[in-house]
Amino acid sequence: MTDTRPRLSTAQPGDYFQLLKPRVMSLVIFTAVTGLLVAPGQMNPLVAAIAILCIAVGAGAAGALNMGLEGETDALMKRTRGRPVAAGRVNKNDALAYGAVLSLFSVMLLGMNTNWFAAGLLALTIAYYAGFYTLMLKRRTPQNIVIGGAAGALPPVIGWAAVTGDAPWQAWLLFLIIFLWTPPHSWALALYSAGDYARAGIPMMPVARGAKSTRLQILLYSLVLVPVAILPGVTNLGGPIYLGVSVVGGLLFLLLAFRLWRSRAGDQPEADRTHGGPAVGREAALYDVRIDAKPARNLFAYSILYLMLLFLALLLENLPASTLVCPSCA
Amino acid sequence: MRLTQEELTARKRRNLWIALGLVAFMVLVFLTTFLRLKQNIAESSASMPVAEAPAWPVSPANEGVS
Repeated sequence: MTDTRPRLSTAQPGDYFQLLKPRVMSLVIFTAVTGLLVAPGQMNPLVAAIAILCIAVGAGAAGALNMGLEGETDALMKRTRGRPVAAGRVNKNDALAYGAVLSLFSVMLLGMNTNWFAAGLLALTIAYYAGFYTLMLKRRTPQNIVIGGAAGALPPVIGWAAVTGDAPWQAWLLFLIIFLWTPPHSWALALYSAGDYARAGIPMMPVARGAKSTRLQILLYSLVLVPVAILPGVTNLGGPIYLGVSVVGGLLFLLLAFRLWRSRAGDQPEADRTHGGPAVGREAALYDVRIDAKPARNLFAYSILYLMLLFLALLLENLPASTLVCPSCA
Repeated sequence: MRLTQEELTARKRRNLWIALGLVAFMVLVFLTTFLRLKQNIAESSASMPVAEAPAWPVSPANEGVS
């Protein structure tokens, strides 16, 4: 006789931490900290730390809502089938409730701690990512990550707004860099995961328009991204370190995008790997690719480093003058 | 309904982390309230008008006397 009683969840706290997408969260924290430190104005270090925590938890909550809504789709894809909801370790409704509660707490606390403009931007980011991108855009248009990329680009603006209570053009310049960086970054990954996206019915650019068109679009976006990323270096936002990093780093980005454009990456969808065990939910799944997909893998990996270096350079140049580090410098 | 040992252990761990999360949230709300109050008091005392020194009474007898 089989046991038909409803089973109690055996999900561990670690599964709930995975729902927050810690890898994405680390990038959100980094860019939000940069926005917060670059912004002019004074802020108590403790208030700043709580603000960053709120932005990080808010971003994590959006990730939990996304995983709750996308459990079935994630289960069809090699890269995501190890996620807690897709693997069946966390119930879909539990993930959604967890995401909703964390969204509410993080927005409320950020509003109380800093200002309601920053909290409103955080709420907008969560709603945009979990509602607009996940539920509407993702399955409807190959431009999904172009439009949806706005959610990932907002953290430095939120960090800036937390300090000043507004969002001037300098904050939106940081937004623009991440916004333009997202398509080449995501499409490089999609070029060697196209089979996955096709199986899940997601019209990513390589699935909907083909690999050749995607490679060209990656190059075009890179040609726009690199000059825009240099702009803070010629304004009062960045200095010589930033200028050097953005020029040298940008040239390397263009070189990798050019190599990818000339390659045949994505022409033949990646077959399921049999060597080394299934690449399910493993870090290796992002980087262990077939030889013809290496230009795409190289650009994907370098794009993360490039964005990190840009924001790190901004941080280094603005840190000594930051009121968090030197209150008398205000 | 009898729960398995695995289910009980997992539930205990989750409950512990929920408790820790709630305590952390309470501490954060307390800190935020404290910092806000401190900031508001500092702002209001900075914006308070400085009491002006009383003007020297000018009596007709003193007029013209330097």
